[in-house]
Order: sequence, then structure tokens, then C-alpha cells
Amino acid sequence: MITIQVEKTASEGIGIGKAFLLHKTKLSTEFGPVSQQDIPKEIRRYEQAVEEAQAELAALAESNAIFQAHLEMVKDITLYEGVITRIKEEGLCAEAALHAAAEEFIAIFDSMEDEYMRERAADIKDVRFRLMCLLQGVKVNPFDDIREQVILIAEDLAPSDTATMPAENILGIITQEGGVTSHVSIMAKNLGIPALVGVKEICSKVKTDDTIIMDAKAGVIYIQPDDQTLKKYCQLQRKEEHIQKERLKLKELPPVTKDGKRVRLCINAGRLHDIKKAMEYGPDGVGLFRSEFLYMDNTHFPTEEEQFKAYKSAALLSCEELTIRTLDIGGDKALPYYIFEKEENPFLGWRAIRISLELIDRFKTQLRAILRASVFGMVRLMFPMIISLEELRRAKEILAECMRELEQEGLAYDPGIKVGMMIETPASVVMIEDFAREVDFFSIGTNDLTQYLLAVDRGNKKIAAMYNSFHPAVLRSIRRIIEAGHRCHIPVGMCGEFAGEEKAVKLLLGMGLDEFSVSGGGVLKLKELIREADFREAKQLAGKVCEKQTIQEVYELLGIEC
Amino acid sequence: MVSKKTTIINPSGLHARPAGELAKICSRCKSDVMIYVGEKKINPKSILNIMAAAIRCGTDIVVECSGETEEEDLELVISAIAGGLGE
Repeated sequence: MITIQVEKTASEGIGIGKAFLLHKTKLSTEFGPVSQQDIPKEIRRYEQAVEEAQAELAALAESNAIFQAHLEMVKDITLYEGVITRIKEEGLCAEAALHAAAEEFIAIFDSMEDEYMRERAADIKDVRFRLMCLLQGVKVNPFDDIREQVILIAEDLAPSDTATMPAENILGIITQEGGVTSHVSIMAKNLGIPALVGVKEICSKVKTDDTIIMDAKAGVIYIQPDDQTLKKYCQLQRKEEHIQKERLKLKELPPVTKDGKRVRLCINAGRLHDIKKAMEYGPDGVGLFRSEFLYMDNTHFPTEEEQFKAYKSAALLSCEELTIRTLDIGGDKALPYYIFEKEENPFLGWRAIRISLELIDRFKTQLRAILRASVFGMVRLMFPMIISLEELRRAKEILAECMRELEQEGLAYDPGIKVGMMIETPASVVMIEDFAREVDFFSIGTNDLTQYLLAVDRGNKKIAAMYNSFHPAVLRSIRRIIEAGHRCHIPVGMCGEFAGEEKAVKLLLGMGLDEFSVSGGGVLKLKELIREADFREAKQLAGKVCEKQTIQEVYELLGIEC
Repeated sequence: MVSKKTTIINPSGLHARPAGELAKICSRCKSDVMIYVGEKKINPKSILNIMAAAIRCGTDIVVECSGETEEEDLELVISAIAGGLGE
């Protein structure tokens, strides 16, 4: 039995199961020349890869039209002839011939004027990648080998991995890289499965099929545990399940303090099944719908119709509220079909609203889809990463333009749709009163707010300990935002990790936060804490905490051990 | 050999999906099919060739078929293009 202690918990819970060590698809890029006698063999290899790719794509094409196009590309006669000629006449191996033949088309598409067509270069790259994988005998989808419920162990997971991951077979996640606010943690919380991130050397300590116990609350991992430990944890797991079952009784009860202060308790969601799952816990609605998943899970920019359908389904699922955040991409979130220039400081770079205000046609597609869905529920709209009134006003102008267009086309939308913004940049906090007069609501994004206020990169392991939302500067900013909102009679919510921080619930209640939006798995625990709290007491506590000058003093007052 | 002129009606032109549909239909034709866009000559059995030609909405094209089944093939291809290629 090996025991590993872990400092950081990404998503709580206990997982017991077999390990599955994820091997990322890596392709070799060094190809040697082919001798004259091996040419027929190379041609056969290529033809076989094409055949296998066709079979794979035919199955995928049934559920997604874009794979139908990929299927046609794989079969394409011009591409085929291009590859075969290069093998025969230039003596290239199948991989090198494929690379060059596809490159010719990629260059044509890349040089096109039409932006849509330029992006099709990505489809050809996709098809080439599939064929390359088959030629080199590696899996296109590294999750294909997961056939039973496992604990997933990986160096790191990209957002696109989390999209293809077979969620129903994942009991828990352990990664070597990443911080507690990374997308891995967010996804694990949404799924309600335990996760530990930043576990050094885990990939070299574990083999596939090893038995693993992960206790994400205590921050401990056992590899090949002895019978006694295994028995102890099986009991613990049953107990946890029992507690969760007890909490389910809170489902129908409102999130109200002992002395009658009612707040709203919502969920954060990225995909429709997150909403479906979380509705079992009886939230007031969806406080943050991360529309970027719709973009990341795709092979092309989703069309207005595709987005409309998704938002409509989400609106119908989410009872009293669906707050859709417009595309928040860039930073650590990329798109498989769009090339972002490499940046020195991606978190201070071209991301979120900055992208939307430049790719205006794309932005309008999204706004039109959201507006059209707004007649199917209580849809609210919010813009991410705003730093200036110019940005906010420009975004609202474009929104008004979309409304006029829809009107002319005779398409229905809710003209009274509430428009709000995320408060996650220091600039927006400094100018909070000005912003409060121009929006219908605020939502505090504590992950970015903490990172930007403290100038601490949340992905940087070396300074991970400095990233702390209990820093007085963050707490005082939060209070300032809430007070400014209330002076202008607009509600203030919070959708960052901090809203689900158990130790901060009373404090946030006391500051007057109107809405807590947390991952589905955290709803019931939070409701329990809110119902146990006393608002008057919480208000006094908040006053005292905001006077404190150091994290240490804040911790002492809140009874947090460090 | 028979040929006929038609116009592309797909709003975004012949992008991946309609191009794929066109390639699929033309591949089923027994006769040789060619498409002319201005002076460009395209093999429509190849989706990549169709896409590389970047044919926009409203462009006039000429479809040409030659072979035993040319009459019915031409009819099939022309009506598919006029019908918006499944869009």
C-alpha cells in the first residue's frame, strides 16, 4: 500500500475503484524515406487507414452532421491521388505523403477571403489527424479503452478532453497538473465526483488496474490499499451516501436563514446534462450558464439555430432563472477549430468580451440565439470580463441592433430581458457605482477577481498558496460591489468558487449577497448552512471581518485553521 | 455529353456540409461529372475540390455529364443543387 498526502482538494468526496492511466495521443513526426520495394506496402497501409477511418466516421456521422463531411473528405479522390502519387513518385512513407497532400489543401483554405472557409482548414487537419493516428496505431480518442467504472488518472485534462470523457464511467479524477480553480475541478464539481489536482508524480506511481482509494476531503490517496483500509473506506463511502440522502430532504425547503432572510440559491452549469442532474437538488435556477461549452464541444462555431435549440432547452429546464454568460473563451480555454495567436499573458490578453466585440458577426449570432430563447423562460444575459463603460455600452448597442433585426424578421424575443455583467476585473470594482447605473444585475466572478486583484496566476503552482479569496482586499471588494448594487437597487449574485466555500457562507450572507450560484453537487450543503445561519449575526460578523487587515486575522474570526 | 446551368442557393455557399452532400451524390453517378465555375473546372466527386473552389451563394455554375447515364445523372445533380443540397 502506498499513501499519498495531497494539499489541494478540487472536488470533495470519496472514490474507490480501479485506476485508468490516461495516455495522451502523441504522434511521431519524424518519417524516413521508403525503399522502392516497400512502396506497395505503404500504399496498402494508407488504404487500410482510410478504410478504418471511414468505419469510425460512418458511426459518428449518424449523430453529428460535421462528421458526414469528414467522411466525404476521408474518401476524397483528390486527396487519395495526392497521397498515392507522393508515395509512388517521391518515395515518401504514407504519413509524410498524407501530411504533404493535406497541407496543399490546408494552404488553399487558409488563404481564402471568406472567414468560414478559412476555418475549414481545421476540418482537413482533423481528418488528417484521424488518419495519422490510424497509421501509427494510436487512439484518436484516448478514452476509448474505458469499459468500466474507473478512477481517471492523467497528467492534465484539456476542456476538449472533458467533453469526450465518458462521464458515467468516471468515479473520480486525479491529475498531476492544474490548480483548484482549473476547468477540471469545475467539471468534477458539476458531475459531483471527487477530484484531486496537482498531485506530483501520480502518473509514475500508479498503473492501470491498480486499486485506488481517493478521499478528496481529507486529501489522501491510497494505491493498492490493504483490506483493513479498503473496508474502512467502503463504510465511510456508505456513510457519505447516507448523509447526502438525508440532505435530499432539504430539496423542497427554501434557502432562508433562521430569522427569515431569503436568498436565492442557483447552480452553475456548462452543459444541458449538468442542469438536468442539478435540478434533482431543487435550486432556484441557473445562475451561470457557461455558453463556452457549446463552442468547445463543437467542430465549428455553433450556428444561431444550434445555439437557439440549446438555450431553449436550458431555459425550459431551469425553472425560475437562466443566466447565460456570453462566450468566455481565451485565457486557458481554446477552441478546437479556431487558431488563437500565442500570447505572452493569455489571462491579460484577447479573451471573453474582447473577442466578442471584435468578431461582431459571431457575437450577434450568439445574442440573437439568446434573445430568441428568452421567450421560453426567465432568461438573463450577462457579459464577462468588462473593464470599461465603452465595452458595456458597445455590447448593449449590438444587443439593441439584434433586437431590431429580430423585430423586422418577425421573430419573438423578450424585450424586457435583464442584462447584467460579471464583476471580475479590478477596473470594474473601482468604477462599480458607474456600472451599477447601467446594468440590471451584477454577478461576482471570484476566481478571476481574486487572480487579478492579487496579481496571482491561479494556474501557477509556485505561488498557489498566495491565491486566496479570504485576502482582505478581495473581501472588501466584494462588500463594495454588493453595497453599490443595492444603492442602485439591482441584485448582486456570485458565481465563482467562493460562493460555494462553506467557511464563507455566513460572511457573504452578512454582506447582503442576494444570490449564491454554485456547482450542482454543492447546492444542498449550502442550503443546509444558510438555513442554520442567523442573518443579524452574520451582518455583525461581516462588519468585523471587513475591518481585519490580514488573512490570518480573517481566519481567526471565521474559525478557519490554516 | 449533356450540360445545364444552375445557381447556388445555399446562403453560405458550398461549405463543408453541402459540399459533402454534392460529392456524395456525384460519386453515385456512373457518368463522368464536371462542374464549371467561370473558367475553373472542378471534379465534383471530390469534396475538397468543391470546397477549394469557394463557390458562394448566387454563383452560376454549369454541370456537365458524359457517359451512358448522362441524362438522368444531370437531372439528379441539377435538382439536388436547386434543392439546396439538404440545407
